[in-house]
Amino acid sequence: MATKVGDWLDQRIGWRSVWETIFLRKVPKVNWLYTLGSATLFTAVNQIVTGILLTIYYVPSPDQAYDSVQYITTQVPAGWLIRGLHHWGASAMVILSVLHMLRVIYYGSYKFPREVTWFTGVGLLLVVLGFGFTGYLLPWDQKAYWATTVGTRIAEVTPLVGDWILRVMRGGSELTAVTLARFFGVHVWFLPAALLALLGIHLYLVVRIGISSVPEREDK
Amino acid sequence: MSEKQEIGRREFLGTATWAIGVLLGAGFVVPAIAYVVGPALQEQESAGRIPLGTTSKIELGTPTLFKARIERQTGWIVNQEELSVYVLTEDGREFIAMSNICTHLGCRVRWIDDRDQFFCPCHNGIFDKQGGVVSGPVPRPLDRFEVEVEDEQLYLLGV
Repeated sequence: MATKVGDWLDQRIGWRSVWETIFLRKVPKVNWLYTLGSATLFTAVNQIVTGILLTIYYVPSPDQAYDSVQYITTQVPAGWLIRGLHHWGASAMVILSVLHMLRVIYYGSYKFPREVTWFTGVGLLLVVLGFGFTGYLLPWDQKAYWATTVGTRIAEVTPLVGDWILRVMRGGSELTAVTLARFFGVHVWFLPAALLALLGIHLYLVVRIGISSVPEREDK
Repeated sequence: MSEKQEIGRREFLGTATWAIGVLLGAGFVVPAIAYVVGPALQEQESAGRIPLGTTSKIELGTPTLFKARIERQTGWIVNQEELSVYVLTEDGREFIAMSNICTHLGCRVRWIDDRDQFFCPCHNGIFDKQGGVVSGPVPRPLDRFEVEVEDEQLYLLGV
């Protein structure tokens, strides 16, 4: 039955060749460090799923943000779990992204012909850090408020344009409802769009070029 | 089929990968359903015993309007709600408390003294003194509240 449906679909949309290209491609004999990219991808999926769920209850306004987060954590069934997964998944995603990058550096995987994969990877790391920075403000508690106060102040140190950057980030000179709303917008629209675009290119290139093998010492 | 069916390493790992995938998927889907559906299943919390006012305000045989402020928690927001209740007593001992919300589409009904009827201005729904249906599009009598009298004070229960 399943094969019949599979055949029917394959004749029409040709999914088997896509499946084979992605999952049955030949890979060199590598070690466990080469799974860090997949692990990062898994955390990305986790963040997307739990993040979408959180928007059902979260309200990005100063008078409701904190209460709605408390409501999620204490009142909604499994809310503590969904929020916990998003909270800890965020840290895991940053750590895994960096470890994945280190592996790429140490094994020289960024070299020809994989430079573009590397460029998009750098972009992805910046996007992930952007997620972390904007997401940190959203619970709207003391820690969030002051961390963002300090974080935007750090941006202000930039020569010449620092003051301008701070104002654009905060949406004015102070950290207000405008700041919370734009951080939310960036966190759930701008950055996900950037993430998916870059991730699409990144994964396409990984499949197209294939992963690098473990570098070997050249024998005399 | 042979007695001993050998399971190859490749086959085993393939199945194990799928099994782990299914478990992980269920690990997301099950809590997600509870999370999304949860608040819909929660009962609205009762506001407890709400003091309405003194019974001496009520004229025998005439529904008298009482208003009470109650706090209701909806999600993470506490709302102040005003509750309007018509209280009727014929003998000063038995009390009937009726909601002033029309059972048709939720407009407020009004007691019309010289006609001895409740009247809903939205679609001309008419109820009698006890809240029973008289005419108009109303589907059922006015909703009633449980009341309690203690030291000539009226209290609403179970709201």
